[in-house]
Amino acid sequence: MNNRKNTEAERLTFWEKMYIPEIARGLGITLRQMFKPKDFVRQYPEQRWEPTGSFRGRPVLVEEDGGERCVACGLCARVCPALAIEVQAGETPREKERYPEKFEINMLRCIFCSYCEEVCPEEAIVMSKDYEIVYTSPQEAILGKDELLVPKAKLQDRLEFLRQYK
Amino acid sequence: MPQFEFDGQLIETKPGKTIIEAAYDNGLSVPHFCWHPELPVAGNCRMCLVQVGMPAKDREGNFELDENGNKKINFIPKLQIACASPVQDGMVVKSVSDEAIEAQEAVMEFLLINHPLDCPICDEAGECKLQEYSFKHSKGQSRFDEEKNHKRKRQLWGPNVVFDAERCISCSRCIRFAKEVAKQDVLTFVQRGDHVTIELFDGTTFDSPYSMNVIDICPVGALTSPDFRFEARVWELSSNESISHFDGTGTNVYLGVRNNEILRITPRNNMYVNKYWIRDDARLSYDFVNKNRVTQPLINNNGTLEEANWEDAVSFAASKLDNFRGDQIVFVASSKATNEDNYIFNKFANEISKTQNVIYFTHTDETRIDDLLGVSDITPNTKGVEELNIGKESKIKPNDLAEKLKNGEIRAMYVMEEDFEDYPEILEQLKNLSFLAVHSYNMNKKINHYADIVFPASTFAEIEGTFTNLNGRVQHFTPALVTKENYRFMGMKMSRLDKFGADNDRWTNHEIRDSKQSWKIIQKIAKKLGEDWNYTKSSQVFDEISQNNPSFSDMDYKKLDEYQGLVLGKGNNPDAKQVNYISHYLKPQQTQKVVKFKG
Amino acid sequence: MSDLTFTLIEFGIKAAIIINIVLVMASVEVYLERKISAWIQNRVGPNRVGPMGLLQPIADVVKLFMKEDLVPKAAFQGFHRLAPLLTLAVAIGVYAVIPYAHYVNIGERTVYWGIAPNINIGVLFILAMTSIGVYGITLAGWASNSKYSLLGGLRSAAQMISYELSMGLSLLGVILIAGTLSLNEIILFQRDGWYGLRWMVFLQPVGFLIFLVSSFAETNRTPFDLPEAEPELVGGYNTEYSGMKFGMFFLAEYANMATASAFLSLLYFGGWSLPFPEFWDSIGLIEGTWSRALLQFGSFFVKLMIFIVFFIWVRWTVPRFRYDQLMNLGWKVLLPLSIINLFVTASVIIFFGL
Ligand code: SF4
Ligand code: SF4
Ligand code: SF4
Ligand code: FES
Repeated sequence: MNNRKNTEAERLTFWEKMYIPEIARGLGITLRQMFKPKDFVRQYPEQRWEPTGSFRGRPVLVEEDGGERCVACGLCARVCPALAIEVQAGETPREKERYPEKFEINMLRCIFCSYCEEVCPEEAIVMSKDYEIVYTSPQEAILGKDELLVPKAKLQDRLEFLRQYK
Repeated sequence: MPQFEFDGQLIETKPGKTIIEAAYDNGLSVPHFCWHPELPVAGNCRMCLVQVGMPAKDREGNFELDENGNKKINFIPKLQIACASPVQDGMVVKSVSDEAIEAQEAVMEFLLINHPLDCPICDEAGECKLQEYSFKHSKGQSRFDEEKNHKRKRQLWGPNVVFDAERCISCSRCIRFAKEVAKQDVLTFVQRGDHVTIELFDGTTFDSPYSMNVIDICPVGALTSPDFRFEARVWELSSNESISHFDGTGTNVYLGVRNNEILRITPRNNMYVNKYWIRDDARLSYDFVNKNRVTQPLINNNGTLEEANWEDAVSFAASKLDNFRGDQIVFVASSKATNEDNYIFNKFANEISKTQNVIYFTHTDETRIDDLLGVSDITPNTKGVEELNIGKESKIKPNDLAEKLKNGEIRAMYVMEEDFEDYPEILEQLKNLSFLAVHSYNMNKKINHYADIVFPASTFAEIEGTFTNLNGRVQHFTPALVTKENYRFMGMKMSRLDKFGADNDRWTNHEIRDSKQSWKIIQKIAKKLGEDWNYTKSSQVFDEISQNNPSFSDMDYKKLDEYQGLVLGKGNNPDAKQVNYISHYLKPQQTQKVVKFKG
Repeated sequence: MSDLTFTLIEFGIKAAIIINIVLVMASVEVYLERKISAWIQNRVGPNRVGPMGLLQPIADVVKLFMKEDLVPKAAFQGFHRLAPLLTLAVAIGVYAVIPYAHYVNIGERTVYWGIAPNINIGVLFILAMTSIGVYGITLAGWASNSKYSLLGGLRSAAQMISYELSMGLSLLGVILIAGTLSLNEIILFQRDGWYGLRWMVFLQPVGFLIFLVSSFAETNRTPFDLPEAEPELVGGYNTEYSGMKFGMFFLAEYANMATASAFLSLLYFGGWSLPFPEFWDSIGLIEGTWSRALLQFGSFFVKLMIFIVFFIWVRWTVPRFRYDQLMNLGWKVLLPLSIINLFVTASVIIFFGL
């Protein structure tokens, strides 16, 4: 049985098979593109972009009532495919007995997959809108709790976006 | 012998066994919370409900058959608890029938009504029986939408046990353990219904030397250890099989390791040694492995210990040891070291230093003696050293060492893994020596200050070897921590973070120490002195011991692992293999079979 | 001073000028590449460094120089260093025989534009040099001691060998017609007839197409950039290179593109020759004057630039071939076609004369 019938190659016409006219056509298309106006290009440092709630920027910890929501369960550290997160739990007298004594994300490892956000039982780690992620040394890229904590008010968009899909 | 049918499988068992016991003996399991093989049956969790029936008989005593020609079974209308129903000949048990499953799911839903959704905070998460059963035996839904009951959290029962009343599912395992095993009857249920909780009798604390075992047997996270509390998630630890270094019992343990540190020690089943238990002092005895370690050879330079590399240190020790032979030198072996280390140490003394002066010291604590696991010997391998004939022919006896040191008869000493902390009279006299070489674990030992050279010895957690417990059981263990020496072989035995971490990750900034197993150090020195020993693995040393020493004959590491240790002189006559009941899994098991725990 | 001294000085000056031109050309090409690709993709391209981003190539080079030069531990150190040098040296060496314009008379001397444009094996020289270029790439692939590099290097060797055949055979048509291997004489042939427009492209259209396609393959440009196919091979032979060593490969690639363009315009589009030579003679711009030479250079340069732009334009239009397609095209289409072309050309010359 000829199971190669009706492949893409066989449906081509003779001239299409000759490549050259088709290539010329392609060149024509790109040529036209070249002269189109480029007016939707954003001049980045001057014109910034405000992402929507669905944007996955730098992961941050939600700060609520002056403390973190995170209970240091370590699930985000476990699920992180890039092993970017390190959590060390400690005990507090608060109602939720557990809090992260140390919470570090190594931004050189993070791949912005948002798995940590998805797995978190406390909605304590979310992807922020921060996309300007520049460091001048590998040490600087390891963010501790002080850099990670962001007040809940600033993360409203993302939290609402997440609710939609819960 | 009664035969009965369990989920379609014909099982033979001893008379008097309960269904759950018979099932476990045959590698099958029934879901359960309160039953524990070493505790009296309570039958209060109702998780083990199964369908039980007997074949129907007519008046003549013949089996009634249904239309397909199968035996007709008369099931007891209500489900029975497998942990308290004894097996009868011909009985039919169904643990996976619709009724049984419905009952199990109902019990799970009931237990979860007031159980807090605490898993992210709870230390037990990851090895929790309730969590595991929520996957295996539960619908995963609750019809209860009222407010959950709140009870006291963080109650200290004793120095080593914290109780969280909300999480308790009232299985009473802890109460029974305290009463029957620890023999400290201080716990009891108070209140009724959904308010039931556990309290200590007035004016008592739960401070038995076995108290921490309740943390292991508690099927949920109601009991936690202040020592390990919130220290790590269990899945972050590698869980490596080992033997406790703390006493002569030879307790089988798991070492929970993360970041190249032992974070906890939990008991491992061995029905011939420690059953399911471990003493609290042995459980909490890991600090010396983590802290204050000698990480590099140290050479004494006019009173200060200076770090040296291995090459220099070995040459130095070899050149010095070369000067002392025969009666001038004493070798101090150690009951803290493995059989292998002691054997090679002894061999070095006899063959290279040409001396019979090899002695060892015992360390005892009489207050520990009890009739469960407590023994006075607080070293793991006294019996082994004795069995290796160490010190039998020595002209110097441990008792007169201090005396001989004082009058200068002994000019050099080579001390392996012994610190003389409880022999101050000897420590004092060490200054009279012209040469002292020491294998030491920790920096804070006094003996280091008298030493001319200190070699960093690996602890039991970093080496492969065997200990012989006081009952003569030789038990094999493998490393759990990484040293420079064993780094390449550890591979999958390391915890996930340790395995995959790169140099620039902070969580792998653990210390990888440059310590070595004692016999390897001795072999290096022997090489320098022209003796060509070529042992590459501990197993080769052990094989040689097994050939030369009749007590160890017919033993090898594989066999030791298979039978969970062999008794001296009975290498070809091992104890029967026992069923090891495992209550907590780290991962939900795929099969119903009891599978040997793997980290 | 002897004639030899003069010759040496002359050649030295020419070489210096030409090397500079090549390197400047490379950066111009990089700029063009970035701009054109941006336009095709509806972007604006570099626009920060200098007016309209014109100084971008300089910034690029500065960046490359400042970068850390990593050499893999397991690489064969010497060869790893040698490979980029070899590639770049070969790419620049080719320019020795390319004529930029005809000649100018300076006093007694006739100074030709180009280091040795009249050498009678010009075409051969270029073919030989470009084949040495394969060594650079293969060596880079092998010496890096990395799978990606090795695969890239091997691919490029296979590809270059396959396409060199049809390239050489299609060239033979030109050589048969012109009857010479000297580049300048081929240009003169194209100038001397049909009002200066006896371009080979009209005499050898099929040969031109084959040569065009082959030169894409020879320069490792899309659609034939399999040796450095990023999605499959990370970066091919230059995966393990960084800093200026990578820069050298980069330069070489653009120099090669310029070579191919120059070659195309020389062989098929009359090179520096101006159409209607009589017209230029009649207004006084006779051969040997500076103005005539500059015009000729302009003619050459315009053709060169058109081809370079074409190369870039094609790269951002056509997707990459699959490896088997590449080999099919090379061996089953281009090679037979070039043999037929050669055969027909030879027959025509024999039976109808020229
Ligand atoms: S999963 Fe959420 S609660 Fe758990 S450690 Fe991560 S951020 Fe904290
Ligand atoms: S976004 Fe993904 S990679 Fe980044 S920290 Fe979270 S889980 Fe890890
Ligand atoms: S504390 Fe644990 S062992 Fe004790 S009754 Fe409650 S659940 Fe059972
Ligand atoms: S195990 Fe049978 S009732 Fe608890």
